[in-house]
Amino acid sequence: MPQTLHNASSNWLMDMIKRSSNSAVEESIVARASRNSPCVLCKGARFLCGKTRCPIMVKVNYYLKSVPLMASEDISGVSPPSVFIGRIGYPYVYVGPLVPPVHEDTSLYDLPEQWFGRSIDEIVGFRSLLIRGKHRVHVEKFEQAGKIAEKTRELALAENSVDLELNLTKKPRGFLFMDDDVQPFGPSAPIRDMRVGNTRFDSRIEKAYYDTDLRATEAVLELYSRGVMVTKIQRAFSVGAFGIEKNRRLVPTRWSITAVDDIISKALMEQVKTFPEISEYRVYESVYLDNIFEVLMIPDAWSYESMEAWYPGTVWNPHGNSTLIFSDWEGNEGRTTYAQVGGCYYAARLAVCEQLVKERRQATVIVLREARPGYIMPVGVWQVRENVRNAMRQKPRLFKSLNEALQFISARFEIPLRRWILQSELLKKALFQKKISDFFGKTSVS
Amino acid sequence: MFKLKVSDAKLLRDMVTAISILVDEATFKIEPEGLKLRAMDPSRVAMIDFEWPKTVFEEYVCEAPSKMCINISELLRLLKRAGKDEAVELSLDEKTGRLQIKITGKYSRNFNMPTLEASEEEVPTPKITFNVKAKATTQGLSQAIEDAQLVSDHVRIEADTEKLVLNATGDLMGATITLQKGSDALLDLEVKENSKATFSLSYLAEIIKAASATSDIATLEFSTDMPIKIDFQQTKEGKLTFFLAPRIESE
Repeated sequence: MPQTLHNASSNWLMDMIKRSSNSAVEESIVARASRNSPCVLCKGARFLCGKTRCPIMVKVNYYLKSVPLMASEDISGVSPPSVFIGRIGYPYVYVGPLVPPVHEDTSLYDLPEQWFGRSIDEIVGFRSLLIRGKHRVHVEKFEQAGKIAEKTRELALAENSVDLELNLTKKPRGFLFMDDDVQPFGPSAPIRDMRVGNTRFDSRIEKAYYDTDLRATEAVLELYSRGVMVTKIQRAFSVGAFGIEKNRRLVPTRWSITAVDDIISKALMEQVKTFPEISEYRVYESVYLDNIFEVLMIPDAWSYESMEAWYPGTVWNPHGNSTLIFSDWEGNEGRTTYAQVGGCYYAARLAVCEQLVKERRQATVIVLREARPGYIMPVGVWQVRENVRNAMRQKPRLFKSLNEALQFISARFEIPLRRWILQSELLKKALFQKKISDFFGKTSVS
Repeated sequence: MFKLKVSDAKLLRDMVTAISILVDEATFKIEPEGLKLRAMDPSRVAMIDFEWPKTVFEEYVCEAPSKMCINISELLRLLKRAGKDEAVELSLDEKTGRLQIKITGKYSRNFNMPTLEASEEEVPTPKITFNVKAKATTQGLSQAIEDAQLVSDHVRIEADTEKLVLNATGDLMGATITLQKGSDALLDLEVKENSKATFSLSYLAEIIKAASATSDIATLEFSTDMPIKIDFQQTKEGKLTFFLAPRIESE
């Protein structure tokens, strides 16, 4: 049961906030922790949760820096551009822009393609400046929902940063929003009115937007093949800018990210399946934000598995004593159900398919990920997509046998190889399943 | 010139469904004596060996041997439009390289679809000496496989002179399914040497489910840690045989 720490006299967070100069901040902050959470004992100092840094301290730090800039109902700034479509209450959802109270080129703030290599502090720093304006509309009736919905969509299609003024019904409030799928953003408030400066649409996206006979899937693939960044496609997808006119609707940001990853990688997979198999075992790797990726490619027909191991004390295993492994897979014919492990399954699948298509090869691909205690808070699915894309840019290590490749991976990971194998459908298949072609030409049997 | 006609669309549709379990693009051999296909699935774990002599067809014309490659799932989509007692005629338009599909019954419709580049790969027959030969009903087999699927994704098949036993062990649960010689499900059992081998249930289940539509009786042949051969006896002439490679778990 959540407990409000707001009034607790010995509240360490409040002490910290009081030390900061601005008293207006105090009203706008609400801290919640579950009753048996170690946070109350730890006070951000002893790392009882096992993480290497306290995520609350990191968040509060940036919150304190950004809140003085937001102590008003009128916000003026430059949107990267960025929008957010909530999912709570679907089909009645909150839509609106994300805008930081700064006047400069903010395009980086919503372009995960350019974030790889930046520290968690830097990303949380600029993301926490993004104020979210909220306006509730029905996902299928947003065309008639009036000016705010219309302006939000316009913003999502813009090519560059856009001047924006928000008139909110109250001062922005709330924590830095963190989610495994969606990149973080700052405080929010309902919109009373909004004014958007001159916007120029990305001409490629504009074309798909005005084509009301083009199916959404085709629009996504067309834009991707023309080199439009996944983030931009996803942003337009979320505001219902694609598809046959009567089918257009808003898509919550979180769903739109996975939908776009899925649509593109599905199309790439079909190409991959027509290419010759790779001729050796390969291991690609990348480390970023204390997430270690080892991507194993096996010379065999296309199939795919994504596995992630969470150390005790990491985001999705905060109180456990042992490492948790989650996995999901698909065979050559693909899958029809949503992968248990979530959005990162599809983001990593996109990254590996891109590489195979580029090389015109096919393989069985297993993406192994260890999330270590330095990964103190989730930053969004982009981390997986860009981390695996980075792995794909590296020269792979080549091996003649599966065992050699597995030995190499085993040395990189803390988790014993046996645990990975036990959990992995495709590793078991590669190790234990014989091929019918092994039996051509043999004549005898014991 | 190649043309064939079947009076009952279901016959063709069931066979194409069985083929679609393993292959998406199938290269058929068209010979004066009949139609043949031998192919492996993309990961080369299983293989299908299919033959329909010309006597199966109401009409069969082949002037010179040739090969034809078609997308099986696309063909299946078209064949699904045909009702039970409707006739289907397939013919190859040599000028355009397209396959014509004519379905006639209450009314008639003509579809056409492209043919693809034929595979040059010659798939041999696996050379295996089998120590166990079991004749079972496809219904009995399907049931046994479904039982095993409840607990695991692979199954060990064991035979001695008296019985065929399916053993499945999952993470939490286990199952043992026994088919006694001479029972309703197991019609015959010949064992030269007690044998056991483990197979993927997803392959087994899909193969048996699809092939059951074409056949009531199947003959299983296997040996210890060797592929299993499942021959589905056809009501008309013709052959539908699957081979599936074993799983060998070495710790």
